Formats: sequence, C-alpha cells, structure tokens
Amino acid sequence: MGQRLKDKVAVVTGAGRGIGKGIALLMGEEGAKVVVNDLGGAFDGTGESKSPADEVVDEIKAKGGQAVANYDSVGSSQGGENIVKTALDSFGRLDILVNNAGILRDRMVFNTTDEEWDAVLKVHLYGTFYCTRPACRVMRNQKGGRIINFSSESGLGSLGQNNYSAAKEGIVGFTRTVARDMGKYGVTCNAIRPRAGTRMTLTEELRAATERKRAAGIVGPAGALDITSLVPEAVAPFVVYLATDQAGNINGYDFMVGGGVISLLNQPEIVRSMTKEGHWTVAEISALAPSFITAELVNPVPPAPAK
Amino acid sequence: MGELLKDKVAIVTGSGRGIGKGIALLMAEEGAKVVVNDLGGAFDGTGSGKAPADEVVEVIKAKGGQAAANYDSVATPQGGENIIKTALDNFGRLDILVNNAGILRDRMVFNMSDQEWDAVLKVHLYGTFYCTRPACRVMRNQRNGRIINFSSSSGLGNLGQANYSAAKEGIIGFTRTVARDMGKYGVTCNAIRPTAATRMTMTDELKAAYERKKAEGLTEDSAILGDLAKLTPEGVAPFVVWLASDESANVNGYDFGLKFGSVGLYSQPKLVNTIVKSAGLWTVDELMTIVPRTLAVGLVNPAPPK
Repeated sequence: MGQRLKDKVAVVTGAGRGIGKGIALLMGEEGAKVVVNDLGGAFDGTGESKSPADEVVDEIKAKGGQAVANYDSVGSSQGGENIVKTALDSFGRLDILVNNAGILRDRMVFNTTDEEWDAVLKVHLYGTFYCTRPACRVMRNQKGGRIINFSSESGLGSLGQNNYSAAKEGIVGFTRTVARDMGKYGVTCNAIRPRAGTRMTLTEELRAATERKRAAGIVGPAGALDITSLVPEAVAPFVVYLATDQAGNINGYDFMVGGGVISLLNQPEIVRSMTKEGHWTVAEISALAPSFITAELVNPVPPAPAK
Repeated sequence: MGELLKDKVAIVTGSGRGIGKGIALLMAEEGAKVVVNDLGGAFDGTGSGKAPADEVVEVIKAKGGQAAANYDSVATPQGGENIIKTALDNFGRLDILVNNAGILRDRMVFNMSDQEWDAVLKVHLYGTFYCTRPACRVMRNQRNGRIINFSSSSGLGNLGQANYSAAKEGIIGFTRTVARDMGKYGVTCNAIRPTAATRMTMTDELKAAYERKKAEGLTEDSAILGDLAKLTPEGVAPFVVWLASDESANVNGYDFGLKFGSVGLYSQPKLVNTIVKSAGLWTVDELMTIVPRTLAVGLVNPAPPK
C-alpha cells in the first residue's frame, strides 16, 4: 500500500471495468478516496447496471481503502454534476478527475447513423466536458487539482472510426485549453492515448483476426504491439503518477501508454512553410506546393490503380 | 480567370462572408460551379438572413461564373443533406466540399454554459460530419472528390476556448479518419488551420488587445500581431483552391497552417520520447524516479501557478 495519493479524493469515470477499474484500484492502493463511477452498460453504451461499480468499491474497501459508487451517465450535464457532487458529499473535496468512460460505435463515415455519431460524441467529448466543468469549479477554489482525460490513438486516424476519432482528438484539443484555463490555479490537465485489450477494444472481429494471424504465423510489423497482450492494468501506474503532486509541471500534454511502454507525443507544429510578401496566387501554389510543402506526402489509403 | 477547377462542382459552407466568401469567389474564378451556403447569422450563431449568400452568388454570376445559394444550417442532419442536394439539383454532381462554417462562444471552462458548449460543437464538429457524410456518399459513387475541413490553431490550446478547441481538434481527428475511409475511392480529406482577421475572429476585445500590444512594442510575431489589415481572409483561398484540384491527390489526411503570405504543413503527432519496461508493469515508485529524468524533461507548464 503506497501513500502517493494520501488524503486525495479521486473520481474515475467508467471505472467498473477495464482500464478505469485498474486506475480506481491503484488509486485506492495509493491512499486516495475514490468515487467509482460506472453506468454499467454494454461497450456500445446500451443498458445499465450497478454491479460493476459496486464490485470495484467492495474490492477497494476489502483492501482497507475508501470508495463510493456512482452510477450516473457522463453523457448529460446533470450526470457530470452528480458525479462531482458524489465526491464532495462523500469525501468533502475533489483532487483528481479521470475522464475514462467511453463507448464504441464503429462505422464507415458514409454509413454512420445520426445515433451512432451522437452517442459516441456525447459520452466521450461532451462527457469529458460535463465532468471537467464542475470539477474545475471545485479545483479552482482549492487552488489545486489533476485532470486526466482519455483520448486514443484513433485520433490519429483509424478506418471506420470517424465518430471516435473526432471525439478522441477533440478531447486532446479540450485538454490543451483546459490546461491553459486552469494552470494558474495549480490544476493540470493531460491526456492519455491507451493501448489495452479490453471489453471495448477487443471486439470479436479483432480477436478473430488476431487468432488468424497467430495461426498463420504472421507477426505484426516491427514495433507493432499486439493489443490482445496488453493488460488494462498496465495503464494505471502512469495515470497515478500524473495525479501526484510531483507531476505539477506536466500540463497540456498527451501520452501513449500500453504494456510497459510509455511515450510522450509531440505537439503539432509547422514543419515546412513558404512565405511571400502579399497573397499567393493559385498558379504560384500549383507551381511550388507539389515540390515543397506537399512533396513526398503519402496518401494513407490511395485509390487502387486503374485496371 | 484560371481553369484549375473547370467543370467541378463545389460547396463552400459559411461562404456569405469572410474566409468562406474568399474561397467561393476564387473557386468560381477557377471554373467551378459553386453552392454558396450561408445561414446569414451573427458570428455567435444567432439570427439568419439570405442576403450574405445571395450577394456572393451575384458577384460570381456578374463575373460570368455559375453559383447557387443555400441557406441551411450545417448543424442538423437535414441541413447537411439539403446542402448536398442543392449541389446535385443545380449542377448534377459534387466534387468539392469545403466545411468552413463556424461560430464562436468564448468562455473559461468553469463558467461555460451548456448552451455555449453545445452551440459551438454542433456547428463546427457535428456540422462538418453532417455535410461530409452525404458528400461522401456522392463522392464514393463518383470515385473522386475533395473534402477540406476548417480547423484552427486554437486546437493546439487557447485560453477561454475549451469548446472551440474541442470542436476544432475534433475536426482534425475526423479529417484523418475520413481520409482513411475515403482514400480508396479517390477522395481526399484535409484540414486547414487559418489565421485571418474576420468578423468572427476580430472581436472588439481582440482588436483592443492587439492595439495595446502594438503600442507597447510587444509584437511577438509581426505577421500575426503587427498589422491587422494584412490578415485578409482572401489570403486563405488560393491554397484551398489548389487542394481542391486534381493536382493534390497524394495529400490526404494532413493539416496546414495558412495566414497572409504563408503556407505551412503541420507535423502529425508522433512519439518523441519513450520509456520501456520489458517485463512486468511499471510501479508508481519507479515512475516517480524515472519520469522526471526522462519523459518530463523540458516540459513547460503553459500557465504555471503564481
């Protein structure tokens, strides 16, 4: 039992299973009082149940920690308020917010339904805002706090995940601005792009594809990680680290975490530019861009050559 | 009068004024038939009017081009469908979609209302999806197309713009995945982070702040802070027009920074610093020791506490 989060109060959304559960348990072990939020739904956001959150609360208590369950959906303004209120009512303060709750509704962009788009945006991006706003009000008064948002590698582009990519890269933009809005109050806000095999990411299709590859002796390209081997518990230690007082200079960044690998991502910056006095003309850009600004850019999914 | 977009049909959302207007006019000059979409509202999204779109259509027609107005809001699925339908009904096809429409509702995150959050997300991020989806259906059948989405440097973090940053960086993520969903059909999707002085960006507060900085000699970047008049919205159009042409087929899933006289390519996120534990999980204690000497070296808190 560590003491790295002694006397701190943490909210972890979507903490009934998977990555969130690992974070809640480790925060409990490190001395934090934990609000275990989970709607208890399926990975596609349907249904609800109290048992996932309750079981994690029981596990924390069984180890001598303090925890309380909350079953609100992050996907509503009132849900976010209730989750933060649970921390205040139960433990009197709020030091750490981990916005981890999430669902998936994969579909090619041209076939995505209004409902598939909206459900993913509401839980991930709206949900992160709905919990962060009331948390910031508390942390601003306390002059201290840690907010850790969950983004995804899918924000870098992922076939069939337009809704998820939009929500998850939106969370990165949100994180960068919350870092700037809240930094002066001693609050930091960072994002994690986890790599882990969970109920949500390990779909039947993905499992089957991985098994086929294994059976065929096909290993991934050099450096590629096999997501089925990445346990969700591996994400927690770095999240706990970001939640400690020691991590005060880390604000507005995003990290990839999976297995034993933790990486810092660069912030986007202009890497090539051309400048002239006055407006470029279309003819000038046509003459110069292909040999400089857009030279050697690779279309990730080029059209098949004409037959 | 160029011919780079000859016979192509383009939609430019929010093209009644500002950056969108500059793109619509220049696309027409390059031979495109243009759907000029504009709800005609104020920069905060309130109100509506047909005049801004109609006036741009008139300018294009007066120069011998072809254009049709559409007044739908991008912020509903039906609005997006109607905008695409306007292109098909008037010109029979759709080659280029420029998702430019936008509004602002700046507020510190702890004071932001539900409505301020939702209005910005709906117009920018939902609106980009609502127009892109029906456009992709058309372009997939045509086996060709160009989608150009408007993001912002605010997606890289900007005080008081949690809603706008979320929407605009969300558009970057969306762009990268649409590029992968649609590339095999000959469609590209890219994003622009423009810097321009428009009705939307040049609020009275911002103008006053720029003038104060200029008077105090605090201009960090003369191209941005030096001379407001130079940041004309028309400066964004030429590169957008080129991206919309057949010449840019290898450019798919990227984002560009544009301001007056300058065109820049942004880096894609990549891992710049990594720690690895080959057996077992990291412990918190190990990270307390190792992270400050490795991953966190040189990281600067952009808004440190006093």
